[in-house]
Parts: sequence; C-alpha cells; structure tokens
Amino acid sequence: MASPLTTVKRLLERPMRLPRMRAYVPQPDDPAIFWFNGEREDIVREIVRRLEARLGPPGSECKPPLEYVLNECANDEARRLHAQRDDETKQSLRFWRGIIKRVGKMSDADKRAMFHDICEKMAKDVAGNFDPRVYKFATRVVPHALTGLLKPSSVPRDLASIGSGRASPVDDLMTTEGDIDRLKRLGKIGTLVFVPTHLSNLDSVVLGYALMRDDLPPVVYGAGKNLFSNPIVSFFMHNLGAYRVDRRIRAQLYKDVLKTYSCVMIERGYHSLFFPGGTRSRSGMVERKLKLGLAGTAVEAFANNRVRGIDRPVFFVPTTINYALVLEAETLIEDWLKEAGKSRYIIEDDEFSQLDRWIAFLRKLGEVESPAVVRFADPIDPFGNPVDDEGRSIAPDGRTIDPGGYVSSRGKASVDARRDAAYTREMGQHLVKVYERETVLMGTQLVSHILFRRLVRDTPGVDLFGRLRHRGEITMPRGEVVRELGLAQERLRAMEGRNEVRLSQATRSLLPDELLDRVLAALSGYHRRTIVSRTDDGSVVLEDPTMLLYYQNRVIAYAERIADEGTLAAAREIARMGHA
Amino acid sequence: MGKLSVGIVGGGSFGLGLARACERVGNDVVIHSRRSAAVPRSERISATSELGDLASCDLIIVAVPSTHIRETARALGHHVDGRHLVVHVSRGLVGDELRTVSQILREETAVRRLGCLAGPLHARALIEGTPGGGIVGSSFTEVGDAVREAIAGPSMRIYQTDDVIGVELASALVGLLALALGYAQQLGFGPGALSVMMTRGMAEAARLGVSFGAEERTFSGMAGVGDLMSAAFGDERPEVKLGRALGRGATMEQAGREANATIEGVAIARRMQRHSARRALETPITDVLAEILDGQLAPGDALARLMARRVHRE
Repeated sequence: MASPLTTVKRLLERPMRLPRMRAYVPQPDDPAIFWFNGEREDIVREIVRRLEARLGPPGSECKPPLEYVLNECANDEARRLHAQRDDETKQSLRFWRGIIKRVGKMSDADKRAMFHDICEKMAKDVAGNFDPRVYKFATRVVPHALTGLLKPSSVPRDLASIGSGRASPVDDLMTTEGDIDRLKRLGKIGTLVFVPTHLSNLDSVVLGYALMRDDLPPVVYGAGKNLFSNPIVSFFMHNLGAYRVDRRIRAQLYKDVLKTYSCVMIERGYHSLFFPGGTRSRSGMVERKLKLGLAGTAVEAFANNRVRGIDRPVFFVPTTINYALVLEAETLIEDWLKEAGKSRYIIEDDEFSQLDRWIAFLRKLGEVESPAVVRFADPIDPFGNPVDDEGRSIAPDGRTIDPGGYVSSRGKASVDARRDAAYTREMGQHLVKVYERETVLMGTQLVSHILFRRLVRDTPGVDLFGRLRHRGEITMPRGEVVRELGLAQERLRAMEGRNEVRLSQATRSLLPDELLDRVLAALSGYHRRTIVSRTDDGSVVLEDPTMLLYYQNRVIAYAERIADEGTLAAAREIARMGHA
Repeated sequence: MGKLSVGIVGGGSFGLGLARACERVGNDVVIHSRRSAAVPRSERISATSELGDLASCDLIIVAVPSTHIRETARALGHHVDGRHLVVHVSRGLVGDELRTVSQILREETAVRRLGCLAGPLHARALIEGTPGGGIVGSSFTEVGDAVREAIAGPSMRIYQTDDVIGVELASALVGLLALALGYAQQLGFGPGALSVMMTRGMAEAARLGVSFGAEERTFSGMAGVGDLMSAAFGDERPEVKLGRALGRGATMEQAGREANATIEGVAIARRMQRHSARRALETPITDVLAEILDGQLAPGDALARLMARRVHRE
C-alpha cells in the first residue's frame, strides 16, 4: 500500500482544477482561449472525428491497415510501460497487452471501436484547461510572489505598489522588445503563433509572463509531461492553457493526436506557442536546425480554413528569449558534451526540478541588470512574408499578396500534406535567419567568448575536449580583455546598425571596463562551479572552460565578424564548431 | 485539373530548347525575351517582351545566366506570387557568398515553390528531341510534377530530389569540373589521369556541397556524376571548349569567344577556394583551377602540383 506521502504527491501531480459554482461567460473582446472550457469536449470529438475520417468508411481498407495501427500502438505502449515500471504500468500495461492478443481476431467494427476509444483517451489526456480565475490570479499575484523570492528587501515597497499601477520590482528583471501594439492588433485579426528560441524550462514561464505584462493574449502550448511533476508549476500550466505532451510515448497514433489537436486549435483561432527547436538548446547556441514539429500544423490549419472558405490569417511571431544567466546551464552543457542528448532527451533531474537552485538563480538574477530580454520580431505569414498592420501579406516589391495562393494548385485551394511539410521546412530555414538577426547578445556571452577565444588561440591543434581540460591554466591580462571587448562591442554596434544582431542595453552602452566588472560579478555566485577568477593584478583566470563554452556558444554565428587580425584564426575555429 | 501553361524567361538557346521540349509534348509556351521579335514562333510557342504576360502561367522556367539573375528576379517579382511554380536552369552561384539562384529568387520574389532543373540536359538535345534526362531539385513534389508534365515524354526522363541546394551546387561544380576536363584533355591527359581527376573532383565537389548543406548522395546522381559523364562523353559543352582554349594558352577573353557562351564556372573557382579556406576543407582541384583561371599557374605546373599531393585513403 502506498504511503500517505506518496498518495498526496500522486494527487498533486494530477491536473488540478478549481470547482466552479456558476458557468463562466466570456466577454466579447476576450481572446479565444477564454471560450476554451466550453469548447473542450467539442475539440476532443473533432480530433477523434478527423482521425477516424482517415480510416475511410466502415468496411473499406485503409493505409496502413487498422490492425497494423492498433498493433503498433499497443506494442510501443507495452514496451514503454514495461520499461517504466511505475503506477502507470500497473494501470495500463494489461490493457495494451490485451490488444496485442486480441487485435488479430477483432472484427472491423471492433477495431474501429477500439481505435475510437484510444484516440479519445489520448485526446482527453492531451487537452489542457483554461481557468480565467487562475489567469487573473496569476496576473495579479505572480509578479509579487517572484519579488518576494528575488528581492526580499523590496517586499514593503512592492506591497504598496499593488493596485497603484506602479511597476513591480520583478519588472526590472525582464525587458520586452518589439512592436507590441502591432501584435495586439494582429491578435484580433488572426491567430498568433509564437515561435521562440529555447534555452531553459523557464522560457514558457518567462514568455507567458511577458505576454501577460504587455497585455497580449494568452497562448496555448504543449508542455512536456515531466514539467507537470512539480505540483505548483503543474497547477498553473494546466489551468493556463498548457496541453500535456508525453515525449516518452513513441506511438505514431499519439503523435497524430497531438498534431490534430494543435491544428484544430489554430484553425479555431487559439493563439499558440511552439518551440521549433523541439528541445532546449543543449549547447547554448542559437538554433540552426529546426524541426518545427507541431508548429508545422499552422500551415495545415491555414490551408484547412481556406479550403472551407474561412479567411482567418495565421501570423508567426519569431521570438528570441535571451538570458544573462541560464538556470540549467551546467546540466545542459554537460549533456551536450556527453553527446547523450538523445538518450537523455527528457532530463528530469536538472536544476529546473530543484527548488534551491531556483531560489539561488532568481536571487542572482535580481543582482544583474535586465537579465532577461524577450524580443518579438516582426510577424510573418506562414510562408515567411512580412505582414502589414492590417495583417496583409507583403511581397518583396511591396505589393499586397493573397497568402491563399500558396495553398492553391491551378487556382483551387487544397490540403496537401507533402506541400505543407515543405512550407514548414522553409519556415524553419527562415526562422534560423531571423533568430540570428534578433538574438540579443548579453555581456556574459560576449565576455565568455573573448575569454574562450583566448583559450582557443593559446591551445593550437588541441581538440575541444582537450581544451576543456585546461581548467585554471589560461590567464588573460585585464588590459587585453578590455581591449578585445571594446573592439567586439564596436563591431557589434555597427552590426546592430545593419540589423544583423541585437545587443542588450549593457552590451551596447557600457564602457568595456565596466561591462567586464559587471559580467565577472554576474558569473560568480549562482553557478556551483567557479567560472572565472581574478589575480591580484586584475588578470582574468579561465577556471571553467566548459561554462565559458556554454555562454560563448551564443556568439558563434558572429565570431568571425567581431574578430580582428590577431584573433581571426581562433574565431574561425570557433565558428566552425557551429557548422559541426 | 486544367492544362499546364508554361512561361520561359530567357530567349537563349537553352530557353528555346526547353520551349521546343514543351511543344513536343503538346504544351503551350510563352517565351519572355528582350528581343522577342527574334524568337522563332510556332503554333504553341509565342513570345513577349512583357514579363507581366507570364503572370497567368502556372510554371515559369527561368533560363538566364546567373550574372543577370538578380535583376531578372526583381523584375519577375512584380508579377508573381504564391500561386506560381518557378524553376531555373542556371549553373551559377552569385556573389562572394556563393548564393544559389533559387535563394536569389526566394529573396526577390514571393514565390516559394521553387526548383532547379539540372543534369545532363543541353540545348541541342532539347531542340532536336534526342533521348536524355534531367533532375529537378525542389522541396515541393508538385514542382517536379509540373516540370515532368511540361517537358517529359518518351525521349525525356525527369527525376526529382528534394535536395535543392545539392542540385544547384552539383550543377555549378560540374561546370567547373567540365572546364578542368577540357583543360586536362588539351594538356594531353590520358583516360586514366582524366578518370582520377574527375573522380577526385567529384568527391571534392561533394565535400564542398555538404559544407553548404547539400546531401552527399546528390553528387553521385543525375546532377553530379550524370552531368559530368555527359560532358566527358562529348556533349560539346561550352565549359569543355573554354578549358581546351585555356589549355592552349589562350587568354580568358579569347577562350570565352571560342566557347561562345557565358561560363559561370570561371567566376566561382576563386570564391569557392575562399570558402573552403574558411571552412578548412581540402579542395586541391578547385585551388589549382582558381590559380589557373587567375593566371597564377602555368598549364604544365598544374598537373605536377596535383600529382605531388600525398595519397591517402579514399
């Protein structure tokens, strides 16, 4: 029998909803998500209906055969549950094994009924919830709770600010950039699909908060089931529109349910959030290869609407989320270096799951100036064209064009999975370029790059792993750090002027001397490992090349452009790491 | 589905050859040419000097040299949008960044369904209708299907791959290798030496292609080995003629006149060499070619330089 503690933990891990005495009636101006709970059952039914429609009418043969689909799904699930050996195993393993045994003897009608039940069960498990009360609570209380955590000394001032309209101290932690007013307008015309870079599990929280603070509509997003293991995070995620994505489930049918869910949501005008990189960037580099995954359903949703004669535009909003320090940096870079990224795709024991690391991290952030920057780039249509204030697609020559042309063939709108997959790949390539341009470089990353570049220069012919073993062996005189930093800042300012990159306020405007001091202070304190230290004469000692590598990886795409003659060879070597 | 309408930008020999191929399988074609009056017309082939007349076409084939592609694409951009399928047949790469023609078309027009038609296709065979084939590189299956519908028939086989950049890079680098082939033939290389140079050259091309994001296997297909074999079997391509003239010691200007065509490979050798230096790639044949084309290496020294290299595992 389970202990009371285990029972409580299990209960807390379940999606919790607040009871409601009266039905909630949304206001006409509320975003689509405020209607979600009323539509939830219908959405689940629609998903099942679409998946069943693929099978064709009863008695017809489908490709792949239904028996194969059920058998594959049951085998995948049985294998997973057998390996998992947890409560879910006890609950469900017998069910899937039963299907494996019986599927060969089932009639077509029985197989269809079974398919219906499995799709429905999966769709119900995926579908999220949206409680306007939790949303309102979160908008009012979360910033102040974070303030208490970050800057306890600010609590009295902060309490006084409630209801006064003044900014909470937590607002100092995060800057939002981009044309917010335009996004608000477009959010009323069509469906917004936010596609941000992904560094940390904090990203969805940070972005969700940025949207809330700037009065942008809330979004639905797929959150890994592992994130639901923290009861508080789980409660907020579940009630603020997150749907659950269990990455452990390999069955194709489950992936189809997820895709259909996401497609239906976009078709119905639910603003959405996807991380096109799929997973957090282990290396710290700006993503260069994007899988897009569920974001690809936006093209299909647009085409489906056009075929039905519905002209509801879809706007992608490329977004970069930039941090001076990253909560899970140590685990992520180690994971990348071990090349175990695939086998440890779902890291469950990183800093995100450790409360003490959260507190240490947030307190440290409180000492750093503008440690997080969320930058919204110009919105584009699903085919990569910019859009004007009215949401119309603009061709390179400035003409307004109909995006419906992209999903038509000889004048007729159509749904074509292969074509839409190609558009999605194109979108991935386009986003890579936008990310490079819209990444906000932080001082920590730039200084780490200058120091790592010195390490590369001083260890010719040594491979990456050899270099990482040079702990505390390389020292760079302060004067040289300052000189190289100043030159890099100058080059970066020119690049920013040409819209090739963005800079944080500090990177752009501080004198190199001051920037260096701030960065060195920021780099010590949060991470468990000492990254850099200083000698008596102020020289900088490279104590932990691995962490320097992580932070400098953000700069790789610009390395050659910010180097001078003396550092170009090392910069090139660093740039090549990005192509590996 | 209605009948396919085809537009061709460029009234040169390749454009005319493609128009003939379209006509042969019963398609109507409009050719855009600045000298439209000089374009030979027929029942199915018409000509225009207005790019806007191509706006009603489903498939547009761009057959202009890469040196003119930027302005052509910009002009075409005023008349096309997401409805159109656009394919080009250029062998060139543009600018110091070695941008492919489909990238330029992507930048200057709103068209997304783009492709590159390449492989052992040449103007005379297209005009005469002798058996042959080619390959379309496009992420969009419907682009390959449209090209097939436009020109494929009993004597023309059109394959497809989604590795667009691979086809474009292979096509450009085969142009360079064809030039090297003509040059080496003129110097008296025997079949063995030519085979070694072509095989290693293709491996080098694949290495370069991969560094641009291409798939290695594309280089052993129609756009790579297939195209190079056609040049080696004597399809009289201008690159080989230019190489021979240079091997005889002609100046670039004289050689160009002799080849009587715009040779795109000449411009890319040096830029390719710079790219390989940046990415630390081993590209001995490209390096030698760049030096020959720049006039820094005498014909006799090229072979000695290549043969002196250390041999390693294939």
